[in-house]
Amino acid sequence: MKKHSILIISITLIVLAAAASIALFDHSHHDENAKFDAKETIFDHLVDHYSWEVPFSHSHKIALPIIVQDYKGGWHCFMSSKVEHGETYNGFYIDQSEAHHGKVVGTNENGEVYRPLDISITKNVAALFITVIVICLCLFPLVRWYKNNGKKAPRGFTGAIEMLTCMVYDDVIKSILGPEKGRRFAPYLLTAFYFIFISNLMGLMVIFPAGANLTGNLAITMVLAICTFLAVNIFGTKEYWKEVFWPDVPMFLKAPLPIMPFIEIFGVFTKPIALMVRLFANMMGGHMIVLVLLSLIFIFKEMGGVAVAGGTTVLSIGFSLFMYIIDTLVSYIQAYVFTMLSTIFISLAQVEHHHHE
Amino acid sequence: MELFMPEAGLVFWMFVVFVVLFAILAKFAWPVITKMVDDRAALIDKGVEYAEAAKSSLEDSEAQARAILAEANRQQMEILQEAAQMKSQIIEEAKKAAAAEAKKLVDAAAISIEQSRKEAELQFRQEVSQFALTIAENIIRKELAGDKAQAEMVEQLLNELEHKN
Repeated sequence: MKKHSILIISITLIVLAAAASIALFDHSHHDENAKFDAKETIFDHLVDHYSWEVPFSHSHKIALPIIVQDYKGGWHCFMSSKVEHGETYNGFYIDQSEAHHGKVVGTNENGEVYRPLDISITKNVAALFITVIVICLCLFPLVRWYKNNGKKAPRGFTGAIEMLTCMVYDDVIKSILGPEKGRRFAPYLLTAFYFIFISNLMGLMVIFPAGANLTGNLAITMVLAICTFLAVNIFGTKEYWKEVFWPDVPMFLKAPLPIMPFIEIFGVFTKPIALMVRLFANMMGGHMIVLVLLSLIFIFKEMGGVAVAGGTTVLSIGFSLFMYIIDTLVSYIQAYVFTMLSTIFISLAQVEHHHHE
Repeated sequence: MELFMPEAGLVFWMFVVFVVLFAILAKFAWPVITKMVDDRAALIDKGVEYAEAAKSSLEDSEAQARAILAEANRQQMEILQEAAQMKSQIIEEAKKAAAAEAKKLVDAAAISIEQSRKEAELQFRQEVSQFALTIAENIIRKELAGDKAQAEMVEQLLNELEHKN
């Protein structure tokens, strides 16, 4: 039974990896004469788009709404299919030049190209919505179970979700913050954990309802880090602010030249920045390695032909499979680390007068 | 590098979506889940405590039962001993009472015997004196004229006889 499931998982992963490479191949060869540009292909897969590919095809895309505000303040809303192939719609088109590569731009009366205020439902925004739905689908069965069955332990998937929640809630939040404050901060920390964990996993699945590189996007991790920053500093105690501006160190370190306060204030901002960069770099790096490994196939094909490409395919898919499995682990670890560090930063801002007693 | 430039639109949507997600979960999901998890932990703790208390109280009551049993055995022995003692005492007392009663009876008998002996003696004496008188009368009738002087003489003779005895 166990062997069986491992076999099924391996086959699924091979199929997915193959699908990814086919998609890559398809993408790089929509123009037969174009040379394969590994760098462009890889970055194209990591950044946001205005539309979403239909599984296994780059020519068919799911149109998503583009919402932009022009320089006069008027709002424009249209489907991405209107500008997908280089067309101009209401003066807006997708820029192909270096300045705003791949973004919607407009031209004003003087013929100057400008970037409008852009709150389009892009691929990543759509993925955000889907992630929220998936999170709710994971958690609300558990809530319903509790309402119907009281304290009885749930089974199956609901039980797994409960176990995951308990692992974060009991072992991280309550053990670091204590039961009282743990209960107070648990909603934010658990929401952040599930958001990161589910988007990490969905980012690894290569086709439509998933596959957006959400947590590997700096905007997403920045908002998460800002939320932690707010949770730390809004609920920080008096003692915490005293330790920032007037720490318990020898006078010469803070009196004429505020060396320690400077370092402390610097630390207040570096903590969330570290959170932001860690999550972003880990997730983006994981995606990039898989993409590079798959790109190797096409690079070697151009250099040595089909036979070399065949050999590389086996190797690359083997390695990228391995990377996928590592990334699955990393998905959990990064969600856990983000939650744990957020909890620690919050607990550091909850200091009380204990060392004076 | 586009990759390292956070897009304003995505930041905006992420903020909106995350706040909405947080609000939904903080309102409907987390309070229920964390409360239930805490409650269950408390319940399990209480259950363990209760089981331990029950175990110790069971041990206590076992010891208590053993003590009660031992006490009962001891009391039983005491009662038996007491009973035996009482039995011998009663027998003793009964014996004593019987002896006293017997003595009383014997004494009474002795007294009544003495009395009847005295009565008999008296009667006997009277009868004897009567006989003697009659005899003496008969004898003396022939020899003596007066009764009185002779009866006195006989009485005196009889008193002498008694004093000799």
